[in-house]
Amino acid sequence: MTAANPTVEARPLSGRSWRRWTQRHGWTVGIWILLVVLVVWYSTLIPRFGGFQFSTIINGGTAWIFLAAAQAVVVIAGGLDLGVGGLLVLTSATAAQFMDGQPFAISIVLAVVILIGAAILNGFVGWIVTVSRVPDIVVTLGSLFIYQGLALMMLPKVGGGSSDGFRWLFTGSATGIGTNPWPAIVMITVPIAVAARWMGRTPSGLSLYAVGSDETAAFLSGVNAARVKIVSYAVGGAFVAMAGFSTLAIAGVGNATTEGSSLTLNSVAAIVLGGVLFTGGVGSLIAVVPAALILFFFNPILSALGVNPNQAQVIQGILIVFVMMVASLIEWRRRRRS
Amino acid sequence: MNEISSTAPPEEATDEPLSIKLSIARQLSDRPQIVLIAVLVALIVVTAIIEPNYLSLAGLRNSAFFAVPIGVLAAGQTILMLTAGIDLSIAMIATASAYIAANQSPNGAAIAIILGLLFGIVAGTANGIGVGIFRVNPLIMTLATSGILLGLFTGWATTIFAGSTRMHDFIITLGRGTFLDGNVPWSVVVWIGVSIFVLLLLRRTGYGRNLYALGDNPIAARLSGTRAWQVLVVAYAISGLLGAVAGLLMGGRIGAADLQLAGFLLLPSVAAAVIGGTSIFGGVGTYTGTILGALILGVLQSLLTFLGAGQAVQQVLYGTIVVGLSWMYSRLAAAS
Repeated sequence: MTAANPTVEARPLSGRSWRRWTQRHGWTVGIWILLVVLVVWYSTLIPRFGGFQFSTIINGGTAWIFLAAAQAVVVIAGGLDLGVGGLLVLTSATAAQFMDGQPFAISIVLAVVILIGAAILNGFVGWIVTVSRVPDIVVTLGSLFIYQGLALMMLPKVGGGSSDGFRWLFTGSATGIGTNPWPAIVMITVPIAVAARWMGRTPSGLSLYAVGSDETAAFLSGVNAARVKIVSYAVGGAFVAMAGFSTLAIAGVGNATTEGSSLTLNSVAAIVLGGVLFTGGVGSLIAVVPAALILFFFNPILSALGVNPNQAQVIQGILIVFVMMVASLIEWRRRRRS
Repeated sequence: MNEISSTAPPEEATDEPLSIKLSIARQLSDRPQIVLIAVLVALIVVTAIIEPNYLSLAGLRNSAFFAVPIGVLAAGQTILMLTAGIDLSIAMIATASAYIAANQSPNGAAIAIILGLLFGIVAGTANGIGVGIFRVNPLIMTLATSGILLGLFTGWATTIFAGSTRMHDFIITLGRGTFLDGNVPWSVVVWIGVSIFVLLLLRRTGYGRNLYALGDNPIAARLSGTRAWQVLVVAYAISGLLGAVAGLLMGGRIGAADLQLAGFLLLPSVAAAVIGGTSIFGGVGTYTGTILGALILGVLQSLLTFLGAGQAVQQVLYGTIVVGLSWMYSRLAAAS
């Protein structure tokens, strides 16, 4: 990567370092600015923009953010997890099955157990990827099916439930609808910040980037590449469990018939917009969060503009293609110049 | 698998059983179809034991009805996976083509079919332009196309397509009709036609070789004069066309166009190609393998139906088989 270029390090010219800074963080800053602009624009579009609208966006976006974060961790480490959508359905169905009618304290204990279980389960998928050397896209295609089937076994009919306190944790109210966005903001910020710091500042987190950008080089410099990949899938699984909890908290009941594959597709679109490269080793959770929110936020904006949901989907698709075309053309020109 | 490949060569001359084992493994990895045929036969036998009536033309017909659309869609996946691509929009293209054909059915079967197929080609070409010329990642490009089509047709289903979703009788015959005393479905004939086209395309034409070359080593392919973007645009157009063929068959089988027509076939179509030994990284694979993959999935469907397995069990088994078979392949590849 460009960061390793010694001439840039040796001569800290202001012009050079500015260019380097924009190259490294430009996408992150840009995507946050885009989010703020969209929120401000949205607030002028609708007659009343207050706590209710704000918390609706945050609450609804929580699952999208966690799912995108899960995908980002795996892709940065050089993998791809098509199973995330299925695991979301499985975790929320399992939580709905066991939390129904339980007091708050028990539901928290159950949540922790399910979260650890999801991490172990997805870590096992990562283990299969590393041991079998079958392409990750194939293995996780299989895990998508398996998760979806297990979810149906766990909760054959729409139903189950959770405790009031549990719903408050993710939505700011016991009914799932409210004007208090703060619990959801905390629930998003704390895990994402911890994970982002882990990935950006600690050796074990940075090894994700090392393995993602060049597995052989990472292995030769002493990184246990197989373990890093398994860890990335496990961390992904834990994030997916959070997304599953949020889904349950908003709906109030579990639904194992939700199509997991379309949720996976959302997560893939979100990390693309968030600047994570499929080749691995590039990207940041800090940029994925606003990207996921923007994708979720699209529908309310377009419906405020009077566009119906179907057209909104068309516009969303065209925009993703457009962003990707521009991004790959920029990349292509940069490669030609160097 | 590492153990075999690293320690075997010196012992090969002395240790008789190991060398036999090795040569079997080598044979199998050279001809993965043998494994697939064995799996297929085993599945048929197991199904016949559970439900003796299965071993009749009528029993096998039901498997064929399920295998045909998967086989046609998987032909598109195979062609694209050879170029290290994939088409996640193919099921939505199928659904959309069925809507177009149904809408045009009052104008006669020929126009309905031609316009349906034409739509598939146009949508596929759009994918190809994105992937081949603008170098968008195939996963993203085809996902986005799928989203765009879903949005368009969900809206149109209640407006311009409302009340015109019934398929022409000829298409219905193709989709669910049979001949020879109702034993052989017409859709199987269509699949055989598609198979001959794809097999000849991949094996006998320069274009087919270009597909393999591009997936195996894009730089070498470029240096030897292959224009990648042209090959890719055509490949995605063919995939779109095959999607449309499958859409018409599905529409004919159901009798009408419907938004949920083909979506559930997307992952099985990828699975069939993967089970058939096509590498998702490009350059490796045959359509023969994919055909066997589709047949295996078709028989599996019948088996699970006879077992009375619910959707949940089916999905778990499905996923396990996809992972298990591809794991077996990579072991065989490593052993040779």
